[in-house]
Amino acid sequence: MKDFGYDEDGRAGSLSDIRIWGRILRYSTRHWPALTGAVLLSFFVTGGTLALPALLQRGIDGYITATDLDGAARLAGLGTTSLWYGLLVILVFATTFVQTIVLEWIGQSIMHRIRQDLFAHVLRLDLQFFNDHPTGRLVTRLTNDIQNMYEMFTSVMVTLFNEMVRLLGILVLLFLMNVELALLMTIFVPLSALITILFARLARACFRAIRHQLVRLNSFLQEAISGMSILQLFGREGKSRREFEDLSHGYLQRTLSLIRLFGTFMPMTEFMSSLATALILWYGGGEIIRSRLTLGELVAFISYMRLFFQPLRELSQKYSIVQSAMASAERIFQLLDTGSRIAEPDQPIARPAAIRGELRFDKVRFSYDQHQPVLHDLSLTLRPGQAVALVGTTGSGKTTLVNLLLRFYEPQAGAITIDGMNIARLALADLRTIVGVVLQDVLILQDSLLANIVMNSGRSRQEVEEILARTGMARFVGRLPRGLDTLIGEGGHELSSGEKQLLAFARVLCRAPAILVLDEATAAIDTESENILEEAIADSFRGRTSLVIAHRLSTIRRADHIIAMRHGRIVEQGSHDELMAAGGYYADLVAMDRHNGNGE
Amino acid sequence: METTSLDRPGPARPTRAGLSQLLNLLRPSFTRHRLRLAVGLTALLVVDFLQLIIPRIIKHGVDGLAALTISRDDLLRLAVLVIAIALAVAGLRFVWRYLIIGFSRLLEESLRNRIFSHLLKMDAPFFERHTPGDLMAHSSNDLAAVQMACGMGVVAAADALVMSVATIIFMLHIHVELTLLALLPMPFLAWFTRILAGRLHHRFTTVQEQFSLLTEFSRSAVISIRLIKAYTMERFQTAQLDRLGRQYVKSNIAVAVIQGLISPIATLAGNLGMLIILFVGGRLVITGVLTMGDFVAFISYLAMLVWPMMAIGWVANIVQRGLTSLNRIHHLLISQSALPDIADSGEPPLVRPSFSLRNLTFRYAPDLPPALDAIDLEIGPGIHGITGRTGSGKSTLCRLLARLYPVPDGRVLFGDRDVNTLAPAFVRSHIAYVGQEPILFSDTVAANIALGRPEATEEEIVEAARSAAIDDEIRDLPDGYATLVGERGVKLSGGQRQRLALARALLCNRPVLVIDDGLSAVDVATEHEVFAGLRQRFAGRTVLIVSNRIKMLSLTDRIVVLDEGRIVCAGGHDELLAASTLYRSMYDKQMRPQADEKGAAG
Repeated sequence: MKDFGYDEDGRAGSLSDIRIWGRILRYSTRHWPALTGAVLLSFFVTGGTLALPALLQRGIDGYITATDLDGAARLAGLGTTSLWYGLLVILVFATTFVQTIVLEWIGQSIMHRIRQDLFAHVLRLDLQFFNDHPTGRLVTRLTNDIQNMYEMFTSVMVTLFNEMVRLLGILVLLFLMNVELALLMTIFVPLSALITILFARLARACFRAIRHQLVRLNSFLQEAISGMSILQLFGREGKSRREFEDLSHGYLQRTLSLIRLFGTFMPMTEFMSSLATALILWYGGGEIIRSRLTLGELVAFISYMRLFFQPLRELSQKYSIVQSAMASAERIFQLLDTGSRIAEPDQPIARPAAIRGELRFDKVRFSYDQHQPVLHDLSLTLRPGQAVALVGTTGSGKTTLVNLLLRFYEPQAGAITIDGMNIARLALADLRTIVGVVLQDVLILQDSLLANIVMNSGRSRQEVEEILARTGMARFVGRLPRGLDTLIGEGGHELSSGEKQLLAFARVLCRAPAILVLDEATAAIDTESENILEEAIADSFRGRTSLVIAHRLSTIRRADHIIAMRHGRIVEQGSHDELMAAGGYYADLVAMDRHNGNGE
Repeated sequence: METTSLDRPGPARPTRAGLSQLLNLLRPSFTRHRLRLAVGLTALLVVDFLQLIIPRIIKHGVDGLAALTISRDDLLRLAVLVIAIALAVAGLRFVWRYLIIGFSRLLEESLRNRIFSHLLKMDAPFFERHTPGDLMAHSSNDLAAVQMACGMGVVAAADALVMSVATIIFMLHIHVELTLLALLPMPFLAWFTRILAGRLHHRFTTVQEQFSLLTEFSRSAVISIRLIKAYTMERFQTAQLDRLGRQYVKSNIAVAVIQGLISPIATLAGNLGMLIILFVGGRLVITGVLTMGDFVAFISYLAMLVWPMMAIGWVANIVQRGLTSLNRIHHLLISQSALPDIADSGEPPLVRPSFSLRNLTFRYAPDLPPALDAIDLEIGPGIHGITGRTGSGKSTLCRLLARLYPVPDGRVLFGDRDVNTLAPAFVRSHIAYVGQEPILFSDTVAANIALGRPEATEEEIVEAARSAAIDDEIRDLPDGYATLVGERGVKLSGGQRQRLALARALLCNRPVLVIDDGLSAVDVATEHEVFAGLRQRFAGRTVLIVSNRIKMLSLTDRIVVLDEGRIVCAGGHDELLAASTLYRSMYDKQMRPQADEKGAAG
């Protein structure tokens, strides 16, 4: 299975953590009818499986060796017994099958529920949380950890439960038949438990070493394949080959030690089974001689013994699965318990029908890490309909301003208001539809261009076409092979970086935001996309409050007002001409740009 | 006109090679480890034999007990014998497992290394035909399938064959008709297992694919969290995951249906056989044809047959899957690089190499328009700029010079010799190359820079980094030059990656430097600074720079403007401004805002 190399050196979970079991159980409760059914079926399967050798014994003792009955009666009795035996065989087969499916369905449904809950929960968490937690780990929670738990659900419910019941059933039967012989057999339970735990521990370490090495081997290979031309150009073939062979050999060594481990432990159950048979033969034989056991009972005992070791083997195999599942469950529930630092307001202000679009930052102070302030008591007002360009070097705080406006983070002091409403009092969904933002990166769904533009905005095709036509972006759509129906995303038509910017812009326009925030891409895009984009920006500025983190001179010049930021403070503001005339920081920035990019 | 083209077969299924060809891939390993295999198989057979003995001993005991002719001492002796045999079985099982399964791992290792060595020799078109995912699959899934077939497959085949034949012989020895009757369900079991195991594999692959989809979806949601929040797409995304999750549940249930059948069917077949023995065998005992001991032994033998019968079905599948995988590996290993297979003769490198392109036309595929069309170009010492629109053939030109793609004979000369007569590695050893997409490996910064010269000293590495204007930033990293980069290390910006790639090229100190738009993410001031350094350092050597920045191009000695694979114009910056409309329009586009600027600012 493709595991994307996410692999945690997890510790084994504690099997006795009641709270975790409790939470797992709570998820199971909604399936209680099916669960009850499965448990009943399990008793039936166990009962049936155990009745078969009993029937066999009855056939042998009651008819086959019953020399005191006459031949016809013996044959007739054997026939009836055989008929029962056959019926039971088919019933056991059918119930086993039904039970497996029911349990699988329950386990899968519960896992699906947990995954949905967890995913919805993760999406609600604040951005600081995402900064603090590596992507790989979060993905592992959503996928591998849930998979681990599922393995436990089916293992625990199907196997553990069935096998426990069966083991107990067999023990009861053995005791009923012959107490001493049964007592003799029970010594195998602690013995095999001991072996199981030892094996699970050793195998765990071994598997982890193998997985770790495989991840290394595969990442090396993956890198080598994608960087093959570089390896060849720099004459690295020999060295790469040696490194690969070392990794490959390390993998071999680890798999060999696993084989040795399996080679040692796998034959043990079989050995114990033979040992038990020998004991039964010796001790049980003696009992027959002393007439305290019938021959049929001895044969049944030997058959039950074979059944007895199967659950022991199964239990030992599932032990480590349950362990790692508990660790996963613990991590999942921990994540579910993590709250978001950005809270929805208790009593949100109802979204007004019309937004004028007055945007005000009032003495906003912010730092990402509590130490290095990024914004120092910044105040800024955008009048309705005004287009403001933010300029400044990297790290001046422009992007932070946008992050705060969208409430990705909470300012440490000060407030941000829209038409006088504090954004912290607006429902998050309302805020984020009032403010439409075009970010530098674009999330592309594997779907048609139309679906990618509409997403969840509820626009019709006609509306989208109108908007595109009005803003001149219909040209962009016209360039694609199948227009709005072009499939994009993985496996579909690949958009250039310019086209992606246009898509992001079209998306936001479809949401008709009262306030437009634009984080312009720094990277150069192709000329034609740039022309279309410029036109669309010009159109969307009209009559709409806009805040642009600007990199293009053309955009800056289109803004009504320019704000130059430096180290989290506004150093200058005014129109382009005013600022150029003032000859301050902004003029320096322009001069630097001229020198760097466009000088002669 | 002579053109070269690369055959680009579709992703169609590789045709099945002959069985003997496929087995040839495995033969070296089988030959090398023949002793290991022989001992392992012998151990396996002895185990099988010993296992058959145990029921005989039990039969002996039960018969004795039925006839009351056995003493307690005899019973003890029999029990000790059973334990001794069981001990031997356990020991020998370890032996065969270690030898045979270990053999399959050895074979896997040698095949894996062989695949990797082969990949190292392949040309760029090969890596375009095969996605990294496909190639990774060869070395993971396909190798695993072959390993499985050669390990557990061999074991199960040998075991099942010997066990079933021997068991059946023992049973026949007791009673012929009863044996035939009791075996009646067994062929069905083998047949069902084979069918079901095949389906199971298929459905399981679907589950794995859907699991990958889930993972990929979660990953993209997590990395795009800002976008999801900004567009209030939380519900939308959750609903999408719900759809994927439901499909996943469905496929899992489809797997469970098969899994839920396989093992109960084995039980069913065993129990049905048991039923036959009970009914028919019981009658035979009653009529005195069979002894009670024979009857019990029969039951034991039948239990022993269930596993080999399942195994036969299973082995048939494993072998089939192994052969399919082996076929894919075979096709991978017979694919040839289109570049001449000439070993590096070890001749000393040229000091002032030059390239001559003579009427060179190149296509990526026969049905595509030429990427380069009738190019005549001399690239000798000096700084050459290449520019043109996206898709005009700039990168293709660089890649051809670096011998990543095949060229027709006589069209590209390297130091007056046709490159097709030279080892590709020899030509490459003259070129320090900076590509468009900088590729870093999961290793330290220092090791990434020293990629082409692992023996370089620390001073040399720092010096190269300084020339690429990245030294300061490297020192700011958590562990400086020892910082891990790449997938699991520190994330570097595009500009930093590009400058690292440049440092890597500079460290090699080769006579030709090719920068294929390799500084596009570096800001113009830094690019300018770096370039000034390069001019000095590479005085008298050959530098080829692909760029769309007019500023950069104006600093080169000579500029070639490409359009649709053709040279439309070549010359100095001023010359081209006057002569080339394409160049002029690029100039206007890049200079215009500033021209406006001047007007506005007065």
